[in-house]
Amino acid sequence: MGWRSSHETWGTLEKQTGLGGITRSHTGACLGSFTPSVSQLPAPELNEAPERAPRQQVRFLPTPAPGGGGAVELVAASVPVLADHPLVRGPRFRKLKIGAGHRLDVKASGVFVLGIGHGNKLLTDLYNCHLTKVYTVGGLFGKATDDFSDTGNLVEKTTFDHITREKLERILAVIQGTNQKALLMYSNIDMKTQEAYELAVKGLIRPMGKSPPIITAIRCLQFALPEFQLEIHCLHETQQYLRKVVHEIGLELKSSAVCTQVRRTRDGVFTVDDALPRTQWNLQSIQEAIRNCQLKVEAELEKTLAHEENSPLHQLDGTQLSMLCRSVHEQSLQHNTAAMCQQCDGQQKERG
Amino acid sequence: MAGLVRRLLYRGFCVPAGPPSTRQLREVEEAAPVFQYAGKAAKRKDRVFVWGFSYSGALGIPSFVKPDAGWKKPRRIQPTPYRLETEDKISSAACGYGFTLLASNTRDITKLWGMGLNKDSQLGFQRSRRDQTKGYEYVLEPSPIPLPLEKPQQTRVLQVSCGRAHSLVLTDSEGVFTMGNNSYGQCGRKVVEDEIYSGSHLIHQLKEFDSRVVQVVCGQDHSLFRTKKGSVYACGWGADGQTGLGHYNITSVPTKLHGDIAGVNIIQVSSYGDCCLAVSDEGDVFGWGNSEYLQLASVTETTQVNVPRHLPFKIGKVKEAACGGTGNAVLTEEGNVFVWGYGILGKGPNLIETAEPEMIPPSLFGWSDFSPDTRVAHVRCGLSQFAALTNRGELFVWGKNLRGCLGTGRMEDQYFPWRVTVPGEVVDVACGVDHMEGSLQSSATEWMGGTMPSQT
Repeated sequence: MGWRSSHETWGTLEKQTGLGGITRSHTGACLGSFTPSVSQLPAPELNEAPERAPRQQVRFLPTPAPGGGGAVELVAASVPVLADHPLVRGPRFRKLKIGAGHRLDVKASGVFVLGIGHGNKLLTDLYNCHLTKVYTVGGLFGKATDDFSDTGNLVEKTTFDHITREKLERILAVIQGTNQKALLMYSNIDMKTQEAYELAVKGLIRPMGKSPPIITAIRCLQFALPEFQLEIHCLHETQQYLRKVVHEIGLELKSSAVCTQVRRTRDGVFTVDDALPRTQWNLQSIQEAIRNCQLKVEAELEKTLAHEENSPLHQLDGTQLSMLCRSVHEQSLQHNTAAMCQQCDGQQKERG
Repeated sequence: MAGLVRRLLYRGFCVPAGPPSTRQLREVEEAAPVFQYAGKAAKRKDRVFVWGFSYSGALGIPSFVKPDAGWKKPRRIQPTPYRLETEDKISSAACGYGFTLLASNTRDITKLWGMGLNKDSQLGFQRSRRDQTKGYEYVLEPSPIPLPLEKPQQTRVLQVSCGRAHSLVLTDSEGVFTMGNNSYGQCGRKVVEDEIYSGSHLIHQLKEFDSRVVQVVCGQDHSLFRTKKGSVYACGWGADGQTGLGHYNITSVPTKLHGDIAGVNIIQVSSYGDCCLAVSDEGDVFGWGNSEYLQLASVTETTQVNVPRHLPFKIGKVKEAACGGTGNAVLTEEGNVFVWGYGILGKGPNLIETAEPEMIPPSLFGWSDFSPDTRVAHVRCGLSQFAALTNRGELFVWGKNLRGCLGTGRMEDQYFPWRVTVPGEVVDVACGVDHMEGSLQSSATEWMGGTMPSQT
């Protein structure tokens, strides 16, 4: 019984609200403490929405016979099932299944992709696309610490007056050069084919499997001694690796550097503009955000996974792939109970 | 014992150590000593790198050919750029067919060094230590080439160029010096029958041109001279029409070219095989010589063109041209590279030959929405490979990877431009048949005391 009710919670959650998909939020908290808080956010609002009518069942109730005299007759009557009564069952929605995309550690901030309900499946597919992520990394010259960030224990202080923007850019060019080699090696492309040439022109040469962190592009956005800011496009990285890169840049320039800020501005197709800040973590914004990004996610999956030979999604043709993403819409449209929340009704009418 | 500590804590006689407060951290930080690793001298050091086939001695590193330690093995091919130690700053370099010339524009007596194949005395006379009357046939490390200058402490060497078995040296006030094989008159002097070129001391001087020579170019067996007035002179083998003088015979005296370049101010000439290209100040391209590989097929069906012809390409104003053995490349003012001819042209394995120039997408040279200012600054050609230098100091190569001459670290041919990893910005590159040489600028500060400190 308990299992069945939670299972139903699933189906009805999506049917009623269309809340199955991917959303992303703008956060500075770490994953472990973050997920419970986010998973419980929409629940109260969903519980407040008017529910569907309880199921009816046919029961044969004893009623006094019209003849009189104590005889009892069984009459069929449609009565509501008591198990559906809110006082028996409790609140419909307690928790939502939330999955997270690429990790973002405690000291970093920025775009963090989450999947709700059926969207978790899309998360795996997006992971297999191996799209690049863009970070804004802030650094400070003159210090070296043990964990490469400015809050660590100080190891050494050095001079930095000799550093110019030109020298920094030269180091960045060297970094980009060595990473390009690694990119080629892990991409497993035969350089002799015409396909390799076409991928290179489009810039699509990427490792499609496991690889160490690779920086595809790096450039200096701001330079004001002792601070500087870099924009880094990378794959398969961790935020601590980026801090280490800042530390190594400092060493190459014959000084030292610590990382003051790591902020993810883009994760695959999701940018800062699509992300929801803390003030907008409510049901309506989440639903809107999911809707806005649906097309983008679909397009990216089709484009990248079409190149892949081994992915099971490759066997699906284009229409089936888009159906996977649109199944949520159709289920909610099929639902035809009168007592649907007005919010959802209005939104569905907008979608058309 | 524990009770004593507890009583002391209770009375406030000792305070347990908690996490350091911000003020404590700041004080510790300010008290820490500051280390200086950067030296004061901010001069940029220029370095020479070589890569490719080493057994001819063209790389100038003797330990590759004759290892100087028992554990070292001979290195036939150097697949990635390797630093060549030179005492002087090298301002000009050229790679020939198995040999290299390095020149410095200093006023010192020694201005020119050569290494590699010397069977035709293309590196001058290199006196052998074992037998003082004979010369070396292979020079394994950069050795000075004595030029018969009138004023050796004033004249500067501006540019050098190397062909198959001859070389040209351009000076600022004493004309052009030629050395090496002269069987076709490519050294600009009369052909002597049965002349023995090996161990020859003869270095010829050329001075009779309409104005000062500003560029010298060696083809395979011919020589081209470009003067300040914009005219082009040629001498040497002409069976493919590469001398451009209207006939297919050899020429042993530099003679002025006419045809479509008569009266045109030519600002650059290029050749390496049997085809030649010239660029005028207005951005037009002229070509003559061998056209068996469709190099000049846009204007004529004949396979040998012995008079300079204008190539009417609609690709924009051309800034620089590079002529290889079977393929040609030009660089336009906008920074785009166009290729045509035969062989690995740089647009994937499907493009083998074309008579009309095709553009190589700039994204292959590092251009992107992310860095829209990147463009190609120079193009160079070897016999079957191309090199491009961008304005960010990056070197891209493509073509046949003959004995590792591309420097990519792999031995396979490269069908589209690929970046060569070099420590520094590439200022210039010279391409040969199976080796290449690059001049780099390194970073501007030096480590203090000349040694790197230990890093955490």
